Amino acid sequence: MMTAFYIILIGSMTIFGGSAIYALFWAAKSGQFSDMKQGAEVIFGKDEPVGEITDHFPGMDLEAKLEKRKLKKMRKF
Amino acid sequence: MAEVAQLETPNTKAQSEAELRVLIDKSCRSPVMLFFSGAIFWLLVGTFFGFAASWKLHDPNFLISLFGVDFGFLNFGRFRPAHLNAVAYGWSSSAALGVAIWLMARLCHIPLRNGALVVTAGIIWNIGIFIGLIGILSGDSTSIEWLEFPPYATMFLFVGYALVSIWAVDMFLRRRPGHVYVSLWYIMAALFWFPWLYATANLVFLLKPVSGSVQGIINWWYGHNALGLWFTPIGLATAYYMIPKVIGRPVHSYYLSAIGFWSLALFYSWNGGHHLIGGPLPAWVITCSIVASIMMVIPVVTTAINHHMTMKGNFHVLAYSPTLRFIVFGAMAYTLASLQGCTMAIRQLNEITHFTDYTIGHAHLGLYAFFTMMMFGAIYYITPRLVDCEWRSSLLIKIHFWACSYGIMGMVLVLTVGGITQGMMLADPAVTFEQIVDGPPKYYRIARTITGALIAVGHIAFAIHFGLMMARLGRKEGGPAYL
Repeated sequence: MMTAFYIILIGSMTIFGGSAIYALFWAAKSGQFSDMKQGAEVIFGKDEPVGEITDHFPGMDLEAKLEKRKLKKMRKF
Repeated sequence: MAEVAQLETPNTKAQSEAELRVLIDKSCRSPVMLFFSGAIFWLLVGTFFGFAASWKLHDPNFLISLFGVDFGFLNFGRFRPAHLNAVAYGWSSSAALGVAIWLMARLCHIPLRNGALVVTAGIIWNIGIFIGLIGILSGDSTSIEWLEFPPYATMFLFVGYALVSIWAVDMFLRRRPGHVYVSLWYIMAALFWFPWLYATANLVFLLKPVSGSVQGIINWWYGHNALGLWFTPIGLATAYYMIPKVIGRPVHSYYLSAIGFWSLALFYSWNGGHHLIGGPLPAWVITCSIVASIMMVIPVVTTAINHHMTMKGNFHVLAYSPTLRFIVFGAMAYTLASLQGCTMAIRQLNEITHFTDYTIGHAHLGLYAFFTMMMFGAIYYITPRLVDCEWRSSLLIKIHFWACSYGIMGMVLVLTVGGITQGMMLADPAVTFEQIVDGPPKYYRIARTITGALIAVGHIAFAIHFGLMMARLGRKEGGPAYL
């Protein structure tokens, strides 16, 4: 019983530790670290492109607010 | 693995990216809303337990006798673990699972598969929490911190969680080929680590209990890893997705995010031992843990720099976006809580802060100001996309945000100052224990109850608002394009 217990514990530790190392090697081999700029942009797409704010308070006219801010900034110069 | 993904490219009917996004959100509706509604229910339950436990610290007879009925069994010793488990497993983990499921589908770029499996997992998970809380309140607690749920409840939790993990592996293998975004790394790692941690801890405590001081090591190996390898990765995955997505700007440095992930994976699992500084353990165990705790500066600082630089020049969006407010608050609290944690592992400081409210303040800074605020932000972003209507009221969101942020800042402040006072008094042999209990630390505890009440106000506003969304009573017009 005790031996089986140790085998389960140490076995699972080896498998989990090993899979973390495997994941690191897999990431390097499959090019996860090769194109960092493209990597950072995978969450954007044609319909939600870079430069678009995707959240605002309910009922708020976001575009008007941003326009107003832009004008205010321009007046400063 | 890459070949498998390529062969099984999702066969969806979506014509455009926007249509695919809508399809993904639709497919997530029932499982994610199940986890969210469960989470918010347990949040209210946990808030009540926390408030009552806090009150009992300065008035032990609170709630002991109501309308002539004796509730003597509901003492601090039962409310405190009930609070911890209701908020850690009931609220935080359920919310984390909901957010993780939605992010998985979004980041794999495929509609959610095997929805029935996830719904089953959610039901089993919530049954487990219900049984566990009843167990704790009726005196069946195991009295091991973070693992108080009795064995008959932990089985449900394990099965529920393991089903989600299996589902996640299936989703990951069938994802759209291409780059694996950093959030997906964090989520996969968290869903992979936690069932193992939970199973191992339960195995060596409940099935074949280890004895003596080894219990302490296992206890904090599990306790700290639950925070570091489950809540932290999910919180950071949320931040890495939400900050760039809301402001519409890619992460400042993707290199840093990779370093942050792998250094967290390397150092965090060693941290548990710093809970046992001064305990009857081999000194090397604790010293290793202190070294690893200090090394945590690397992932924390890289993440902090990355999030700050991403936000730089976009701080004005905080005024427009409720999600971003919560997420940025959470990201700042993450830096603060983690760096505070690093210093708390230093022996000299630990001598004063150990066994005082200072630690409780740190725990709330981490699990509330960081993690819970992250989850609030994510829920504000995700829910409208699932139920096809916009949040009803800006006012309720503002009440929620300000009540919770002032509440938690106040709570951490009074616990920190109170904890130091307490620690200094404990270290002074001339001070008796009664003087500490009835002296200045007591007033900090009363102040803590008040800040807790403020947080409860925020939670009630949030729960009402979420209830309106569940009943499809949100705004139909305007809003961002959910299509």
